[in-house]
Amino acid sequence: MMNLSSLTTLPLAEEEQFVSFKGWAFYLLIVIVFICVFLGYAKKGYNGRVFTSKVSRLAEQLYLFLENMVLGAIGPHGRKYLPLAAGFWILIFVSNILALLAPMSPTTVLSFNVGLAVASIAYVQYEGIKANGFFGHVTHFAGPKLGLALLPITLMIFVIEIFSELMKNMSLSIRLFANMHGGHAAVESMNSLFFGLSVPGLNLVPLGEFLLPLKILTCVVQALVFTLLTCVYLGLVTSHGHGDEAHAH
Amino acid sequence: MSPLVGVGIGIAGVGIGLGLIGNGALQGMARQPEAIGKLQVQMLIALAFVELMGFLTVFATSGFK
Repeated sequence: MMNLSSLTTLPLAEEEQFVSFKGWAFYLLIVIVFICVFLGYAKKGYNGRVFTSKVSRLAEQLYLFLENMVLGAIGPHGRKYLPLAAGFWILIFVSNILALLAPMSPTTVLSFNVGLAVASIAYVQYEGIKANGFFGHVTHFAGPKLGLALLPITLMIFVIEIFSELMKNMSLSIRLFANMHGGHAAVESMNSLFFGLSVPGLNLVPLGEFLLPLKILTCVVQALVFTLLTCVYLGLVTSHGHGDEAHAH
Repeated sequence: MSPLVGVGIGIAGVGIGLGLIGNGALQGMARQPEAIGKLQVQMLIALAFVELMGFLTVFATSGFK
């Protein structure tokens, strides 16, 4: 019989700590099972013409919200990216809500967020190559056509754009990780304010729980921001007929 | 003097930036109430970028612990 608290803090060897999935993988399983059950119930309440259950209506509202967001950020041709955005949003949001309740959650781990960000940005590159061709996608980084005399400036813009493309991964992942992890750290430090007044080793005044409204707001906003930025990047590389000058960063 | 004083100064700058973003967004919403939806989304993106700077300072000083 394995107790759950040992799943978060397994005594691992030093070299195993960077390749092991023990710890937060169990909470990722919880998140995935919850999403599957929710969507299964939502699908069950749809009888071909109308939504009959409350869960289905909730899922419908969620779909409309995501559709509005994706179409607003990408444009009318962005409907095919809706499953990607919805997947990112639901996964991140449920993980963030789990972070309020559980000692650990997938989004409080930096490596999980780096994985999400790399998947998102790699898909953006793939779509850019598919839309503009490989050569067109690479020259898109070089900025506007300046002629041969300004070749150093073009090279400089190219290097900066490549670097910013790499930094997108870092910004997406660190933002999510720091918001979630920072919420935990703030709650812990606020809880420790009253250690002197309570029984030693036992906290009687859980002051950090008053941060819960702020943390719930953070959960919603961070899921929204991650998805929205993915959509904005997709919109930048797949915009036809606007010309490159309109999107010179 | 603790190096965390620098973090405090950096976070002050981040706070000023967030306040400016909120100020601009609220002024725009007051002038054009029908654009509130679009403005809120853009405001959240901008807030996230400025917020990231603060988190980067905090986590760079603490060594990503």
